[in-house]
Amino acid sequence: MQNKKAVFVCCGTGCLANGSGEIYNAFQKQIKKLGLDVEVIPKIKKTGCHGLCQKGPLVHITPQEITYIHVKATDVAEIVERSIIKDEVIDRLLYFDKQQKAKIQSKEDWTFEKKQYRIALRNCGKIANDSIDDYLEKDGYKALEKVLKTMTGQEVIAEIKESGLRGRGGGGFPTGIKWSLAAKAIGDTKYVICNGDEGDPGAFMDRSILEGDPHTVLEGMAICAYAIGAKRAFLYIRDEYGLAVKNMRQAIATAKERGFLGENILGTDFTFDAEVVRGGGAFVCGEETSLLHSIEGSTGEPSPKPPYPADKGLWGQPTIINNVETWANVPVIINKGADWFASIGSEKSKGTKVFALVGKINNTGLVEVPMGITLREIIFEIGGGIPQKRKFKAVQTGGPSGGCIPEDKLDLSVDFDSLIAEGSMMGSGGMIVIDDRTCMVEFARYYLQFLSEESCGKCVPCREGIKSMLAILDDICEGKGKPGDIELLAEIGAMVQANSLCGLGKTAPNPVLSNIKNFRDEFEAHINEKRCPAGVCKNLTKFYIDAQTCIGCGACLKSCPVEAISGEKKKAHILDEAKCITCGNCRDFCRVDAICVR
Amino acid sequence: MQIFINNKPYEANASEKILDVARRNGIEIPTLCHSEALPGLASCRLCMVEVKENGRTGQVAACTHPVAEGIEVNTESELIAHHRKTLLQLYYLMAPQSKRIKAMLSYYHVPAFDRLPADKDNKCILCGLCTKACSELGTNAISTLNRGTDKKVGTAFDEPAITCIGCGACASICPTEAIEMSEQDGKRTIWEKTFQLLRCSDCGEYFTTPEALAHVRQKLGERAGKIEELQLCEHCKTKKTATKLKDGLKLEEVFDSLAK
Amino acid sequence: MKEESQIAVETLEIAQKYRPEERFLLAILQDVQRYYNYLPKEAMETVAQYLDVPIVKVCAIATFYKAFSLKPKGKYIIKVCDGTACHIKGSVNLITEIKNILGIEPGETTADGLFSLETVNCVGACGLAPVAVIGEEYHGNLTPASLREILKKYQGGMENAK
Repeated sequence: MQNKKAVFVCCGTGCLANGSGEIYNAFQKQIKKLGLDVEVIPKIKKTGCHGLCQKGPLVHITPQEITYIHVKATDVAEIVERSIIKDEVIDRLLYFDKQQKAKIQSKEDWTFEKKQYRIALRNCGKIANDSIDDYLEKDGYKALEKVLKTMTGQEVIAEIKESGLRGRGGGGFPTGIKWSLAAKAIGDTKYVICNGDEGDPGAFMDRSILEGDPHTVLEGMAICAYAIGAKRAFLYIRDEYGLAVKNMRQAIATAKERGFLGENILGTDFTFDAEVVRGGGAFVCGEETSLLHSIEGSTGEPSPKPPYPADKGLWGQPTIINNVETWANVPVIINKGADWFASIGSEKSKGTKVFALVGKINNTGLVEVPMGITLREIIFEIGGGIPQKRKFKAVQTGGPSGGCIPEDKLDLSVDFDSLIAEGSMMGSGGMIVIDDRTCMVEFARYYLQFLSEESCGKCVPCREGIKSMLAILDDICEGKGKPGDIELLAEIGAMVQANSLCGLGKTAPNPVLSNIKNFRDEFEAHINEKRCPAGVCKNLTKFYIDAQTCIGCGACLKSCPVEAISGEKKKAHILDEAKCITCGNCRDFCRVDAICVR
Repeated sequence: MQIFINNKPYEANASEKILDVARRNGIEIPTLCHSEALPGLASCRLCMVEVKENGRTGQVAACTHPVAEGIEVNTESELIAHHRKTLLQLYYLMAPQSKRIKAMLSYYHVPAFDRLPADKDNKCILCGLCTKACSELGTNAISTLNRGTDKKVGTAFDEPAITCIGCGACASICPTEAIEMSEQDGKRTIWEKTFQLLRCSDCGEYFTTPEALAHVRQKLGERAGKIEELQLCEHCKTKKTATKLKDGLKLEEVFDSLAK
Repeated sequence: MKEESQIAVETLEIAQKYRPEERFLLAILQDVQRYYNYLPKEAMETVAQYLDVPIVKVCAIATFYKAFSLKPKGKYIIKVCDGTACHIKGSVNLITEIKNILGIEPGETTADGLFSLETVNCVGACGLAPVAVIGEEYHGNLTPASLREILKKYQGGMENAK
């Protein structure tokens, strides 16, 4: 049985969107159709995210450790024939690693993987997302057993404290300290909550863990419940994550069946139950007090802190709220020990962090790296650099609460404190790479637009402050900016940061202030010269074709939706500014970068 | 316990917030959404003060931040005053006609702000006092609806609320005169619903609606005696209570007698 | 248009799957939303009665959370992702294209009730940016031209336009 082959088909939402569901079905069908010998029939597993979403759908085969990329349903018959029945490798489906300049057989050996260290994502892609047995094979629920049978609640809290684990949702608060506060707090019913409201656009770390390894979250929460004296847990998962909700509900049901949830767990007197609560579609519900109100059946408007949830949380009771990724780390820390965890990462930021690396980057996907690694390593080594050899401009971290880090800061160490010192923050892990085709003014405006729709509207600084800042940015992007606007944005921004009731408002000005700090010249060009250097803001952009560079290939001509470009083959083309609608299609198609911005 | 405000020591109780101590001692901190009867909204953010606590300095809302032994509060630092002006400029954009906001703009010497257009016809600052009053004192006829800049106060489906009793608690607690309540010919109109008004059994002036009186009676339960005794306007009720106190009755006895 | 009392009966059936506790208000409304594709007024009133919460509170919840719609949505809901990755790859152009072809802005439904347009923040398929989800189908690497073709297929009645 040990040499029995297994096929791991990535069925995270990303690959499913790319047709991996059909691929899974195709494997099932093909195996059945061929009527293979029982010995040869492989296990076909639907897994969570394998990591390199750019190359999906991904299929991994063991024990040979072969990873195929961009798999189509039509490839399945060949894969079964050559890699399951026989032991061949299909070269054309292998990943060509640009850095190693070769085709690599297994994802473990990709440059993409080399600097990664998977703790929170350790099981994603390696276990069937609907199998508790797969989870048990990977030391699943061993940490819970160890805790229930050999440790006191205080010992568990001490272990988490010593590990140095800090919240992975963005706040970075020391997890052990939070747990100790809840343990001490007075309340007859304590609660444990998973914040699965992952709302940052471009972030899908939590989604992948919830889809691909739901039991690790449950195990982490059970351990905390034991430590603080809680019996009930709620997993608040955003409404849009249908597959995560489904997989988590199923995990809870199977965990109960096998006695890892419910009463008298593992023969002890520990009782623990969990329930999924679907979010209603509100980014602000990622804020912990808003989240609590949402679970209670109210609108997600935050409450002043203090009191903090560890003291007075859900229905006024002591409550621990932690992020999905934080929970995923807990069982491993218990199993391998605080010292082991503390040996990874940097001095004040222990362990690893999962990032969703997206945007203008060659290797889009999920990466998990030890903290202390530099941005340069993540973007250029793991991420493979910028596509089409374009120029790196900045990397956005921390989502709508963060800021842009420019090129001269690429050797910044990625950890909680360094990023804050730079005017950004780690946030939940979204890392968006942008190139010279992104306008930093419009980018700031984009985040404010998002926040203006997501603000709960309760407090004036956030509601009206964001509205005012957005109105000014709209003006600037449309060519109506006035002298003094930059100073005004900074002034309103500073007040909103200081006076807002909750984290959403307090961090809302960050993208604007960070972009003004690092790319002030772009703002000034928009305001003083009515010009958008990146060529994005339509009213402030004029394209022209550089006659010296143009090779007359005609690609731009064909792509123009308003026929604004004319020219003969092999001769420099001409762009009619009067007809041009600055959609940018031509720039996308030009292979020699001949289309420039005035 | 002892706390410090603007470098002076003051006595404080453990259950108090910074604002309670300040107000008790005549220290000025502006507020719009604060009410003694309905505290804790913390939405106007005008009461921000600087606090040094456990060695760290930060800015907090005085109305909801609890006192602790030895904390040092600064109500008029340069930063607090500066942010307050910026915030008041936003209030001006929201509700330029409000008397209270105009007074604050003048008092704090807030410079004119014309970079963005002001909402000339609006008075509501969405503080939430009216909806809280309706929820705790009234019948849940109004609530905040929508989210963010679309947020507004309104009734269910924007229709005259079935449960509205016309008590006017919302209009009286509103800090910016944003709720229209009109009275004419023995009728009161509020939130697009018209009510009859009852006359005070003592002085004969119109004062409340039958629905509001019935609501009070229902809340008092057993202690609501003959309804005529309850049918006194504010003025006459105060007069009656004061008379009884003058006659040497203790306060509980006065209340009991009023309810009989 | 269903009879008012029929909506009340159907809604009560949906609500009774949960105990009449205030904390289930969101969950019940989500089930009702899924059933009718919006929240009919009569359904909201039924839920308010079942849970013994003020009707205006149900309205507050229904207008606060984006999961709910007070107006019927189209047969096919087009969700154009405006997450950061999709935004920088031109999701705005897709929205403009839909406005040109179907004449609706985000939040609106076509007169024939066939399409509703929404912008959503990150559907988690960033590797395929820009992405639009129509019904349950994901469509990636979109351009205004390819989107136009896909919409034609839906208009022609094909559920699976891949």
